[in-house]
Amino acid sequence: MNKIADVLVVGSGMAGLVAALSAAQQGCSVRLLSAGMGSLAICGGTIDLLGYVQGNAIADPWQGMTQLPEEHPYRLLGVDNVRLAMDSLRKTLEDHGWPMHPAIIDGHDGNTRLPTIMGTLKPTWLLPPGVEPQTLATAKNILVVSVEKLRDCRPGLVIDQLKRYKEWADRTYTPALLPSPFGEAHRSISALDLARLADRPQTRNWLLDNLAQFAGNYDLILLPPLCGSRADLALQQQISAIAKCPVVEMLSIPPGVGGLRLRDVLLRAMKECGCTFIENATALHAEVHDGCCTALQVNASGVVERQAAHAFVMATGGILGGGITMTPGTVQETVFGIDIPAPQDVGQWSEQDIFGNHIFSHMGIRVDSAMRPVGHEATPLWQNVFFAGRTVGGYDYAAEKSGLGVAIATGWQAGRMAARAALEMNGKQQ
Amino acid sequence: MNMHISPDKCIACTTCVVQCPVAEATTKFLGPRMIGPAYERFRLLGLAEDASLHYCANCKNCDISCPQGVPVSSLNMLARAEQCRHHSPSLRDWILGHGELMARWLRHVPAPLKNFGMLNPLTREVLDALGIDKRATLPAFATQTFRQMFAHIRQPGHKRKVIYYPGCYVDVYDPTTGVDMVWALNRAGYDVIVPNEVVCCGLPLVSNGFWQHAHANAERNLRELAGWRDKGLPLLTGCPSCALMFRTDLLEYFPDLISKYGPCRLEDAQKFLLETMDDALFEATSTAPVVSQHVIYHAPCHLRAQGNGLPGLALLRRIPGVNVDNADAGCCGISGSYGFKKEKYDIAQTIGSRLFAAIRESGAATAVSECGTCRVQIRHGSGLPAKHPVSILRQHLEGLH
Repeated sequence: MNKIADVLVVGSGMAGLVAALSAAQQGCSVRLLSAGMGSLAICGGTIDLLGYVQGNAIADPWQGMTQLPEEHPYRLLGVDNVRLAMDSLRKTLEDHGWPMHPAIIDGHDGNTRLPTIMGTLKPTWLLPPGVEPQTLATAKNILVVSVEKLRDCRPGLVIDQLKRYKEWADRTYTPALLPSPFGEAHRSISALDLARLADRPQTRNWLLDNLAQFAGNYDLILLPPLCGSRADLALQQQISAIAKCPVVEMLSIPPGVGGLRLRDVLLRAMKECGCTFIENATALHAEVHDGCCTALQVNASGVVERQAAHAFVMATGGILGGGITMTPGTVQETVFGIDIPAPQDVGQWSEQDIFGNHIFSHMGIRVDSAMRPVGHEATPLWQNVFFAGRTVGGYDYAAEKSGLGVAIATGWQAGRMAARAALEMNGKQQ
Repeated sequence: MNMHISPDKCIACTTCVVQCPVAEATTKFLGPRMIGPAYERFRLLGLAEDASLHYCANCKNCDISCPQGVPVSSLNMLARAEQCRHHSPSLRDWILGHGELMARWLRHVPAPLKNFGMLNPLTREVLDALGIDKRATLPAFATQTFRQMFAHIRQPGHKRKVIYYPGCYVDVYDPTTGVDMVWALNRAGYDVIVPNEVVCCGLPLVSNGFWQHAHANAERNLRELAGWRDKGLPLLTGCPSCALMFRTDLLEYFPDLISKYGPCRLEDAQKFLLETMDDALFEATSTAPVVSQHVIYHAPCHLRAQGNGLPGLALLRRIPGVNVDNADAGCCGISGSYGFKKEKYDIAQTIGSRLFAAIRESGAATAVSECGTCRVQIRHGSGLPAKHPVSILRQHLEGLH
């Protein structure tokens, strides 16, 4: 075994997985450490690029990017690099049988407002296979389906809410509640429980038979995400064929099912690239010498192990993910101990308005265009350390609807730059 | 019991629910988020316990997946201990928790007789009535225990020594894996010491609700191993569940013993071999021609929980002539004795079905895994023979085909 990996990636959310793939595609040996699964596994499975700028909904995320502040990760990378990152991800998804696509408006790609299980509309960019914006826009006769005992989704509520939106008001809706296939269950069932029934051919008929009764009567069927938990294009096509109309899943609260499909694809792609995956290992400290990191100290079930590499990508998440540690008055990146400026008075970290412009939601480390953390003079702190995803500051994923987009763009760049640094260091040593 | 783990790090994100193999297989189980941290809040208030607590298999996938570092499985095991303090576990659970003790009682009975006594159809009907599913394949007693066999091994006399903790599965049911481990460690340049005093790590006792017995085993083991640890000898085991028990679980379950003896964090023997054997040691020791072999590897959940990756797989990949696939198909379902239980047998088979299919479809002739009961489940579910990585290592280097 080669004890020193070319690139060590920490974190297995979207940013970490994309960084690992991006480095491996440059010919590097990659080791990925994870402590927990990241939030990709529970998200909805569409990819947000940029939905709002300064509180205003935007149709064209690429146009919107130019209006972002300079410190925003998209601005640091530049629109062209963000495009390359997204193209790279789309190719990976397509190569693994899960082609995602954006809406095309006047020859340009743009956002789609997708219904949620609460009957609200959420702007998002890349859509799962089978979801056609044109169908969503033109369907007149819509069936809204849920399942008995699935407490998260009530067709009546979805319909009432959707009717409040201008573009969804002038349509005919029919609610339907399918019988629960679980009978008397000990727990309240989730969309994931139902999606997993569709995974297995033995139990798939429950869904197919129930949808067959509506065949030919509607232009569009909206249902919770219960069409399988894996990235299985054939299953999606089979479901729409049985229903004789497009079947579109509404975005759900966690577990959102769609995220599992994305994770399924990315883990398969990583495995094919020969990346090594080390689970349940928490990075504790970094060993740094002369402007370079040589190894991370890692907690492996109570024993501190040393993980050496030529370059490092940190995709450890934000405040919730553990990549950023807060105490009253101080904010720090967890592993390297990078100070993140914050007002001494914690009261100033947030605004009264819940949808306001909170300081805490922008908090994160400052990076250069290569995703290296920078100090006061905007010079890189270390030559071979790169950050990706929510640990990076300067954006507010919840307010902007840019979470997975920034994770992909920064992950792609950090992985690529780490690969370059690792190959340079390898060259020097040989 | 006055020990509690704070449930408040849980943010109810549902990641553990997504990764829990039992919750995937059955809606009879409330799921890790609810049964662990959410119910813990009721427990702390002295309110009711949920009836489905016993469905937790203690496989640790919740702990592996949790982004907040909540030790969900330990919350469940501590709750079960409390429950069993008020309601004694069944005779069935006593039998499944005390395999090693029963083997010690029956040590003078010849193995064929023991196995006939335990595994004949009539006994299986009786056990079935007690709650051990008659469809399950139960492991058979070995003719000699590992420690009986070890007493007759002549080692090379290396100066460097390691402590090998065999675990009850190797000792009672699968001594040849232990003998192969000794061979491999000898090959790596170490003589092996197997302390006589050590007993089962206590995981089967914890899982079946025998907390006091687990405490007694832990004390006996820590007392013995702490002495060797203090002499600076590496403490090794080939069993992932024993390793995890010593590395993390004992610290959460029995802090009193840890403050008395200090932790004895067993190291994964496959990782030790991987790091100490240089390439020359992977050359065949016999003149027999190298026969190539296609095997499929299954990573036990309790190994994945250790944060060291899959050193057994890396070891297999270094053996000339071995072509190894990683099944990467999730939990096998057995979780020690869980899958033998009548009300859980079908759940365990459902959980393992993805792995069994991956193994059968791989075209490999042999499955490989470090965990003894994973191997029992793989044999039962896929029909393929299943071996420990060190057995494959020895087989190839010695040209035993």
